[in-house]
Amino acid sequence: MLYADFWEYDFLSQKLYKLPFYLFFMDLDIAEFALNHALKLGAKYADARLETTATNEFILKNGVPHMAGFERVQGLGVRVNASGCFGFASTNELEKEKIRQMVEKAMKITSAACRIGEPADMSEEPVETADYVVKQRINFEDLSPKDKLNVLFEVEKAIASTKVDVPGRFFSMADFYTEKYFINSEGTKILSKIPRYDFWYFITINDKGKTAQRYWQYGGAGGFENLTAHNFPEILKNEVMKTDEALRKGITPPKEKIDVVVGPQVTGIMVHESVGHPYEADRVMGREAAQAGETFIKQDMLKTKIGSYAVNVFDDPTLEESFGYYLYDDDGVKARKRHLIKNGAINEFLHNRNTAAAMGTKSNGASRASSFNREAVVRMANTYVAPGEQSEEELIEGVKHGIFMKNFMEWNIDDKRLNAKYTGAESYIINNGKLGDYVLAPVIEISTPALWSSVDATAKNMEYHSGTCGKAEPMQAIPVWFGGPSMRIRNISLSNKK
Amino acid sequence: MNPDKETIAKSLLDKFVKAGADDVIININHDNSSQIKFANSKIATTQDWTTAKADIFLAVNKHLVMTTIKDFSEKAVYDAVSRIMKFANASTPNEDYNGIAEGPFTYRNIPETFDPKVANLGETSVDLTESAINAAAEHGSKRSAGVFESSTSSSYLITTNNAEAADKSTKLYFSFRAFVDDYASGHRVCNSRVLSKFKPERIAVEAAEIARQSINPASGEVGVYDVLFEPLPFSNLLAQIGEASSIFNVESHLSCLAGKLNSKIADSSVTITDDGTLANGFGSGKFDAEGVPTQKNTVIDKGILKTYLHNTSTARKHSTKTTANAGLISPTPFNIVFNNGKLNKEEIISGIKKGLIVTNVWYTRFQNYATGDFSTIPRDGLFLVENGKVSGAVKELRISDNLLNILKNVVAIGNKPEQVFGWEVEMPVITPPVLVKDIHFTKSVA
Repeated sequence: MLYADFWEYDFLSQKLYKLPFYLFFMDLDIAEFALNHALKLGAKYADARLETTATNEFILKNGVPHMAGFERVQGLGVRVNASGCFGFASTNELEKEKIRQMVEKAMKITSAACRIGEPADMSEEPVETADYVVKQRINFEDLSPKDKLNVLFEVEKAIASTKVDVPGRFFSMADFYTEKYFINSEGTKILSKIPRYDFWYFITINDKGKTAQRYWQYGGAGGFENLTAHNFPEILKNEVMKTDEALRKGITPPKEKIDVVVGPQVTGIMVHESVGHPYEADRVMGREAAQAGETFIKQDMLKTKIGSYAVNVFDDPTLEESFGYYLYDDDGVKARKRHLIKNGAINEFLHNRNTAAAMGTKSNGASRASSFNREAVVRMANTYVAPGEQSEEELIEGVKHGIFMKNFMEWNIDDKRLNAKYTGAESYIINNGKLGDYVLAPVIEISTPALWSSVDATAKNMEYHSGTCGKAEPMQAIPVWFGGPSMRIRNISLSNKK
Repeated sequence: MNPDKETIAKSLLDKFVKAGADDVIININHDNSSQIKFANSKIATTQDWTTAKADIFLAVNKHLVMTTIKDFSEKAVYDAVSRIMKFANASTPNEDYNGIAEGPFTYRNIPETFDPKVANLGETSVDLTESAINAAAEHGSKRSAGVFESSTSSSYLITTNNAEAADKSTKLYFSFRAFVDDYASGHRVCNSRVLSKFKPERIAVEAAEIARQSINPASGEVGVYDVLFEPLPFSNLLAQIGEASSIFNVESHLSCLAGKLNSKIADSSVTITDDGTLANGFGSGKFDAEGVPTQKNTVIDKGILKTYLHNTSTARKHSTKTTANAGLISPTPFNIVFNNGKLNKEEIISGIKKGLIVTNVWYTRFQNYATGDFSTIPRDGLFLVENGKVSGAVKELRISDNLLNILKNVVAIGNKPEQVFGWEVEMPVITPPVLVKDIHFTKSVA
């Protein structure tokens, strides 16, 4: 029996809150057993993902801790190619007999469904063997629940110090440690150990019965030191004061055509929604049509112009400390940086092995599953607009009349990723290159080609922000970063609500 | 329920009590679900999931912990108790916590919530999917996508306050989107707990009909319209009302219903209930998460907000009674039901001067949950109505309005309710088509 060591510290010391020794083991033989059983039953291809995730979560609502929760989940997912079609099955009942039954059921139903199924191929990829880990300097498991809740109480204190009326204060914090063992029938074996953290806030500011709300999320891969480096008390203090001032002093947005400078948070959501998602090759092929939708992008649009020369967009899973970090995807393919838009032209899509084969190319390592019990589909990792040469101030100085939308609250985009709406939160008038009054809830409603064609400059103030991206059915929520620098968008109109 | 699971639950409960816990709830579940996913009129993949787990809630001196264990071996159970007690004692007390419900309780069987034919469906799901795809094609669909999902589950719950209950459940879910071309599509879902009321072929044909009627859509005009919401999109909005009715969201300022108890918040024609006892209800079950027998609660009665949804702890805090909607942290609805009306769809349409028929929406997001300001995007067939007649399909419009305005502006209610649960509507909702006046639509300006 082969075991994977789950943590870096010494279990035998058994400090308070450390989990029992046995829970950190994964019996990797189970994955081999499932794979071999599928092959024995005639699978043309099979892979297995054995996964353990340990989660701790805390909620502080209006100063009261509402939940401390933790969970240890271990399970196995198996994908098979039976009769030329793909099927997937999973279980957290890891006895061999149960796994045998699961694989047999998967083979049977996949074969039966193949009668009206779409036979699928996989792109040829190198066989990989790897074992990698993200280190924690301060291990989340070494901290007590009180230590973790204290992070949230510090934020609560910082907000109280502003003296602003904040009747709604909702904070959550979670840490996750996922160990994953992937093997396939071609010989690939990948073992990964990735700790992640997630901090989320939602605040409501009140001024004489008028309210404004803001939420945001911070996440990454790493230890407790990565989480505290964000300095949440300072972020929330600033957020509360700015939102309060905007609520009290904000003026109506201009109606005429103007220039807009957007901050990195807005750039991030724009690039995620209107570049990352529509460039997922499974959408291009219609596989998400009844769920997260399709895309206006067609396969033959590769290398065509979609934006101005200033626009370069990347998606890179290998960014260290990122929320979407991984070095090998859930097809066992080595991850790499993807150049989605190159100087304004569509350069490549996001692929797994199935979509790559269908489009006659190679996978670029974008296959991800949210858990052992979900099929891997094409996903983003860390999507961002590349920085330019100027500072944010210089971008603003180049605007005679416009607005600066630093961040946002409401947003959405249609299911072809063609028409989006972004409603500003902290926003300002720009007059003759200088920031002026606050603006209340300016709305950008714009088509994707118009947006990226109107960008004339990107700044050098790179920021990465965190999100939990949804796709597939059942819904798979996965951690991602999205970001970029401030961007200047020329000559657009704001809200058209009558 | 496997008696071994009962033994495990009782043993766990006993161990927690001996270790000093005040309140404990153990809920052991076993679930098996299967899915067929199809796209481009072909099956893209099959999926099967099996999960066995015990959800545990524990309170010690108001220190609350929730966890799940999935290993029921003696050693694992013993270690779990020790670990959970340590975790609880090291956390910070929740002064808002006021205990769990006092049992024992008597539970009623809810009709049409378990069907052995669903549990034994097997490869019949492939045949049903094929029939639906073919039926849509015969009605003009050029390609289709969706899922067919079936699940069977059982649960056993026991608490330190003498609640003990068991339930078993089956569910069928079919989602079907038909395309005639890239910009002409229709989407329908059907949900049932029993096979006899599950009609995948019928909804596939209806999706194809919507797609066929929405060929060559014109670019829609920004403005104010009366809107006939089909059940699928109206469920999306009613699910937001369902979320807003949870006292947890009210306290979190995530609800536009806060501070409006016993106030008129909707047109007098509007009554909304949450009914955990509904026969064939997709969210129906015998008991809530603390073992209280489910019930029917009137949330909005003839336009007046009558109650928020509570568990025992939140009810005690607010000096009221539980509505049997635990959620141990956040109370949650089972089935949101909008009252039925008297008009058929054609009668409603004939009364519209300038309006739109919305057959689906997606990506509903709020600028302010407390005020209800939101936007959502019509998807699939969107039809212009002029002087009582459908005059054509339109596209590229966005609803930018307010949730409370929508409740206040209801002017006609259909007589054919449908049950909706799916990718965009994650809370079961039953509603007929509903006409709402004066809805604001916007669109991209470039």
